[in-house]
Amino acid sequence: MKKISLEVNGIRHEVLAGKDDVLLDYLRDGLDLIGAKQSCDRKGQCGACTVIVDGKAVRSCLIKLMNLDGSKVITVEGLGTPDNPHLIQHAFVLTGAIQCGFCTPGLITAVKVLLDNAPDPGEDLIKKALQRNLCRCTGYVKIIDAVKLASRLLRGETTLEEVTPKASDGNMGVSHPRPSSMAKACGTARFTADYKIPDALEIAVVRSEVPHALIKSIDASAALAMPGVAGVMTAADIRGTNRLKYLEADRPVLCSDKVRYIGDPIALAAAATKDQAEAAARTIRIELEALPALESPEQALGDDAVRVHADRENLCYRQPQVKGDADAALAESAAVIQARFTTQTNHQAPLEPEATVAYWHEEEDEEDEPHLVVVGRSINIHHHLGMLQAALGWENMTYEEAYCGGQFGIKLDVMSEGLCAAAAIHFKKAVRYIPSLHESMLMTSKRHAFHMDVKLAADRQGKLTAYCNDFLVDKGAYYSMGHVVVYRALLMLSGSYQIPHVKADGKLVYTNSPWGSAARGAGPPQVNFALECAMEMLADKLGMDPFEFRFNNLLQVGESKSTGRTVTEWPVPGLMEALRPHYERAKREAAASDGRYKRGVGIATGSFGIGGPGDASVAAVELDEDGGVSIFAAAADPGEGNDSMLTQLTAEVMGLPLDKVRLHTRRTDDTAASGPAAGSRITYMIGNAVVDALHQLKAAMAETGAQTAGELKAAEKPVRYLGRKKNEDSGPLDPKTGQGPSFESQVHAVQMVELEVDTETGEVKVLKMTTAVDAGPVINPNNLTGQLEGGADMGVGLALREQYIAGETKDWRTFKFPTIRDSFPQEVIIRETPRPKGPLGCTGVGEMCLVPTAPAVINAVKDAVGVFICDLPATPDKVLAALASGKA
Amino acid sequence: MDGTEEQASGPGPFFRVVAGRRTAFDDEGFFWDYDEWSEDAARELAAESGLDNLQDVHWKVIRFFREYYEFHGRAPLNRDLRQGTGLSLLELQKLFPGGLKDGARRLSGLPNPKTCN
Repeated sequence: MKKISLEVNGIRHEVLAGKDDVLLDYLRDGLDLIGAKQSCDRKGQCGACTVIVDGKAVRSCLIKLMNLDGSKVITVEGLGTPDNPHLIQHAFVLTGAIQCGFCTPGLITAVKVLLDNAPDPGEDLIKKALQRNLCRCTGYVKIIDAVKLASRLLRGETTLEEVTPKASDGNMGVSHPRPSSMAKACGTARFTADYKIPDALEIAVVRSEVPHALIKSIDASAALAMPGVAGVMTAADIRGTNRLKYLEADRPVLCSDKVRYIGDPIALAAAATKDQAEAAARTIRIELEALPALESPEQALGDDAVRVHADRENLCYRQPQVKGDADAALAESAAVIQARFTTQTNHQAPLEPEATVAYWHEEEDEEDEPHLVVVGRSINIHHHLGMLQAALGWENMTYEEAYCGGQFGIKLDVMSEGLCAAAAIHFKKAVRYIPSLHESMLMTSKRHAFHMDVKLAADRQGKLTAYCNDFLVDKGAYYSMGHVVVYRALLMLSGSYQIPHVKADGKLVYTNSPWGSAARGAGPPQVNFALECAMEMLADKLGMDPFEFRFNNLLQVGESKSTGRTVTEWPVPGLMEALRPHYERAKREAAASDGRYKRGVGIATGSFGIGGPGDASVAAVELDEDGGVSIFAAAADPGEGNDSMLTQLTAEVMGLPLDKVRLHTRRTDDTAASGPAAGSRITYMIGNAVVDALHQLKAAMAETGAQTAGELKAAEKPVRYLGRKKNEDSGPLDPKTGQGPSFESQVHAVQMVELEVDTETGEVKVLKMTTAVDAGPVINPNNLTGQLEGGADMGVGLALREQYIAGETKDWRTFKFPTIRDSFPQEVIIRETPRPKGPLGCTGVGEMCLVPTAPAVINAVKDAVGVFICDLPATPDKVLAALASGKA
Repeated sequence: MDGTEEQASGPGPFFRVVAGRRTAFDDEGFFWDYDEWSEDAARELAAESGLDNLQDVHWKVIRFFREYYEFHGRAPLNRDLRQGTGLSLLELQKLFPGGLKDGARRLSGLPNPKTCN
């Protein structure tokens, strides 16, 4: 121990520092300064913990506390508060640089140091200063914008008044600051790990290190004797079904008989401190008997393959699709290409690791069973509440969504909540479960790997005639959203195109891989990769320009998708026309490249369905005493800007100022069960339900002349109204033909990538991304472009770098998380075709943004060096191998 | 099931004829759509579960479920049910085969929270 004296945000503290104590923990645990975050297991990889020490930006997870005697520390809280923010905090809010907000405090402190030393930094200097600060949401575009704006504000080149949207600018189509963004900028927004609960137990979990084995015995005797240990739990201690059923009840909270993938939970230890719990967990002895590991769908479909689940076939779902007669059309076509495409298992990579806390809320009525409150990162709180109630056998429970540091589909299912709540029930104590990044990667769902055998054909005039896609999906060990991925892939199989004859066969197969679930797009990005690369191959074979080939084959209003459903709106031709001059410019510029670095241009389209067959939502609104309106809807906001959407839509419908709209969206005990924040459905489904409720309220106000809750009550009318949104087209696809209902709305984009390939190293560098998008009328331009920029960055990662390999991918470095050094300029072209059934004509955009990206990148690589990489990710070694094999 | 169910695949909903009307259900037998419920449908589903005669006390519970949903847009917890009906949990659970969720809530036509499509 060493006694030190340091100043934090202007206040002097005297501290006894141990030799291993780091500044981050002192700030968070000792001073409750929660702005600095922990993501990378204290490896200095993420920058979320950046603070200022003696004028320098440092990663506080690496700084030993005992070395700070006499130092001056400034955290994000020391720069400004929501009532009195720093201009840098204003700049981040105003440019839309804050989405989930988990990385924001670290970025803002790093920017403070940058601008103190370089008041007018160029882009290279900005990238250098922020190269150790990771962001998954923004693609870094708006972060660079924020630094530039902060620089101008600090130098007096502009003022807040000049750059802040005004009420008179209107509610729609204006980048009003997100309601939640200033709290995130100032470090006061509480994420799950920021919840401090006195006397809470901490837990550590023992997970399988092998992919498939029988559990023969568990010996926890040594753990039980260790200091601070409250106990050990196994499956036998779970009160309920011990099955977390999203769609199928196959995933245990704790495994009882066998483990099915690397990371399956077997036992947990609970103790007074996390160190004690982890020490105890390490002593739990588990005897396993190895079983054959099924590493691929092909292996799992073998005649002698063992079953992953004794009561289920490994082929757990199959859905064909047949439109017309593809075999006959193929035989008669002038040009046919055939190829196998594979996409990788991938981690969605939210910056915030998994986390749950659970505590007991004192109940007023003693007759009720104790009331458990679970705080976590859910994007579907009502469904997750039901899952936990059944699995754990405890009914009186509330789920509260904390601020959520990104999710990108990963939180469609229950993760750490099951273990945390189970421990709280078993030990009858509050529990915190804050796993490491490595453990979070082990426990969470992944993007499914697809194996796709494709044929695409056209006639002599270059008109598409037939498309075949037989695809195998690696389900991994557990079902989660299972067949929905296959379903969505089939619903969007023909992409943006008119293809008269289609034959497909989607198979979903249990294996001992990490279990797959939602991941931004969930199925369509994989099949669209195959389709759009096949389009490029076919254009190549026909000797046609790939842009014109696509343009000539676009679906037209009145024609049908692969489901057989005709479309009533399809604004893709307008998007391609908007992109055409950019394409022609890019092709001219790329043609000038030569030598070692070859430039290429690639395009791809995407048409993404929103509001699936049978989808429904519900939301409640209430007139307040001051004439404002409260919204009660479980509309999770892990960073997309759903708070903006609900606020601006409501203000527009009701003619209210934005600050008169109050949102209640995070707790199961005060929200309507509006459905998941998934499938890009929040704006379209929940927005529509809210608008329906508002119209009922407006009608009552108009009828009575009431302007406030009191006046409406006096007129004997309700102040609260329940709104619904139900899709008219419901029911499943035909099980034999895959023909039938489809999405009620679509969002469209055409994306163009300009890149450069280093022919000596195989490295690919994206130079620019241009996206033409039509998501209907824009509610908040910063939110729309922010989704596109972040999604494109994620799509480039999917195309070139990222892959989750069980047992090898353990942190952000092994994951190849994109840094600001990897970021690229982006241009967004917006078209606003109103959607007749959308709320005020709008629809969603959150997943669209990466559907065309990976194929656009791969097509650009082909344009640059003449080789197709059909197996994602297109790493340098694959590019070099393709060049060497003479496929050019 | 009585043979009127339709073969289906995928995420649902699944259809069957109840009280003379083609009605959508989820895989747990809960109404897909709150508005497709009727008193006749509740009687028919109750009879299937062995409850041939819905008494006033059953209707009191069913009405509470539906009024709660109409106001809140979600299903009540047991504590809400107890307070809203004046019945003890034991009394409530005895009233409906299958208990409160799979029995009473299902007969009342409250949909499960949606998953994804």
